[in-house]
Amino acid sequence: MAQQLLANLRWLNRLVAMLIGATLFACAAFVLADIILRKLGSSLGGTDEISGYVMAIVTSWGMGFALLELSHVRIDILRGRVGALGHTLFDLFSMTVLSMTITLIAVRCWPVLERSIANSSRANTPLETPLWMVQLPWFAGWAWFGIVAWLTLLAALLLVLRGEFEASEATIGIFNEQDSLQ
Amino acid sequence: MITYVSVGLLALLALSIPVGIVLFLLGFGVDLFFSPFPLIKGLGNLVWSTSNNATLIAIPFFVLLGEILIRSGIATRTYSALDRWVSWLPGGLVHANVATATMFSATSGSSVATAATVATVAMPQAKQLGYDPKLFSGAIAAGGTLGIMIPPSINLIVYGFLTQTSIPQLFLAGLLPGLLLALGFMAITVAICVVRPELGGTRRIFPLPEMLWALLQLVPIILLFSVIIGTIYTGWATPTEAAAVGVAGAIAIAAMFGGISLEAIVESVMGTVKITSMIMLVVIGASFLNFTLASAGIGRELSGFLEGLGLSPLMMILVVVCIYIVLGFFIETLSLMVVTIPIIVPLVVGQGYDPIWFGILMIVLIEMALITPPVGLNLYVVQGARKSGTLSEVMLGTIPYVFVMILMVIVLIAFPQMVFFLSQALQ
Repeated sequence: MAQQLLANLRWLNRLVAMLIGATLFACAAFVLADIILRKLGSSLGGTDEISGYVMAIVTSWGMGFALLELSHVRIDILRGRVGALGHTLFDLFSMTVLSMTITLIAVRCWPVLERSIANSSRANTPLETPLWMVQLPWFAGWAWFGIVAWLTLLAALLLVLRGEFEASEATIGIFNEQDSLQ
Repeated sequence: MITYVSVGLLALLALSIPVGIVLFLLGFGVDLFFSPFPLIKGLGNLVWSTSNNATLIAIPFFVLLGEILIRSGIATRTYSALDRWVSWLPGGLVHANVATATMFSATSGSSVATAATVATVAMPQAKQLGYDPKLFSGAIAAGGTLGIMIPPSINLIVYGFLTQTSIPQLFLAGLLPGLLLALGFMAITVAICVVRPELGGTRRIFPLPEMLWALLQLVPIILLFSVIIGTIYTGWATPTEAAAVGVAGAIAIAAMFGGISLEAIVESVMGTVKITSMIMLVVIGASFLNFTLASAGIGRELSGFLEGLGLSPLMMILVVVCIYIVLGFFIETLSLMVVTIPIIVPLVVGQGYDPIWFGILMIVLIEMALITPPVGLNLYVVQGARKSGTLSEVMLGTIPYVFVMILMVIVLIAFPQMVFFLSQALQ
């Protein structure tokens, strides 16, 4: 079950990462079009504002993918000196702290969106973007990161309980740069 | 508060909690124990305003452009082209290692991909031509560090963002020291190979037509680099816009030379999302810690702390340099930079030092952290890619290059104006 859960999470997050990539390409094309138009004397306008929104949304949604790929940097000083069981304890502890922190961040992000909805706030720019339109996907990204973190922790815990330390390490351990090159 | 943050930082990092999360936790702690009003209420807004930023989107763009260039085989071509030009020097291919690593880390955000590419192409030749494996792999590891100095540098974007210094100015300031470091690396290689020719393998001289053909291969990549840097300096484009131009240029170059498969594009995108998210978690965490520290009055405490120490500004810089060298043994590049910025930069700037100059000095120190054991990312990357020999060979091989970096630190402290040379020359 744990493996199935992880496989599903990985699949979903790869999908998310592809969407992020497509968004980044689209944003780059938009910025490029604006530069060219500017040289021709006109402008699409608002590229800075839109790039900012794209960055906020791309950032929050990419976090879960990076988590499953073990990309969030951790320092391996003490952990490297203990055995397999020790690794597992470090990993479970670190993952619990991460999941709690992300949940707190997501909870604290909600009022930002809530206020924008309640006040029908618009950006103080020529585009006058309704802020909820961009803050909703941004907030959803952090919530998704929280969900991914707790589910990954659950899966790792199930693996540990079954004694599959290696599989758990592959899920929540520390990424070894050199292994990725083999 | 300074003691709390410093001790807390090291303890939490040692527990191998992700660096970004550690910064948030420290921020929560500062809020809880030192702030007269609850700062956590501002957390949501801070996360929004930090990531809703048109300057930071230059980060994924630059990473993407580097990933595309590397995965489409351009780096491999560049290496063999450079080989034609530098192999007559004592140390031959070792210079190609430094030069390729310099060029690609210049456009790529990923030192891993750069070192891996260079190591994969270069290693088989190294054996064949009788190079010393220590010097050879050390040069790749050291060359790979230059990317965070030579613009476009993602680390400089992050530094500029967190310290509110001009990113174009930082890029301009980093160019000269970055090139000097590359030249320094090459000079020490020549020196070593003159003294001990057996380390430097067979020197080769290529016929002129072959060299010219190789030069032609280098044109697109040099052109791309010049366009990115040129548009920023002439004020034609912001760093973000230049990065978007760079992405388009990379795709064009990849399409022109052998093309790029869909699979390579997907892999480039995956790599970009991973690296960007990693960087942003750390950056947002650092912004939050910055915010709590500033609100809780770290400025006053720092100046009091400094008066208590009674150090001259120069002594203080030397202490800071030592702190970075020691921390650099254990903490990696971006993390080291980001976790120290909230405390060290106000301290240094408070003593009258220029934040742009200090940014460049910090980058050299962080480059050193990339190749100093026990935790030196580039050492592991190069070792992983060469698939034979031991890690300690790579470590020994980087020692001469670490000396060049230390020399650079001394030069930067002795002649701070060199950092501003280009920007003054351009005015």
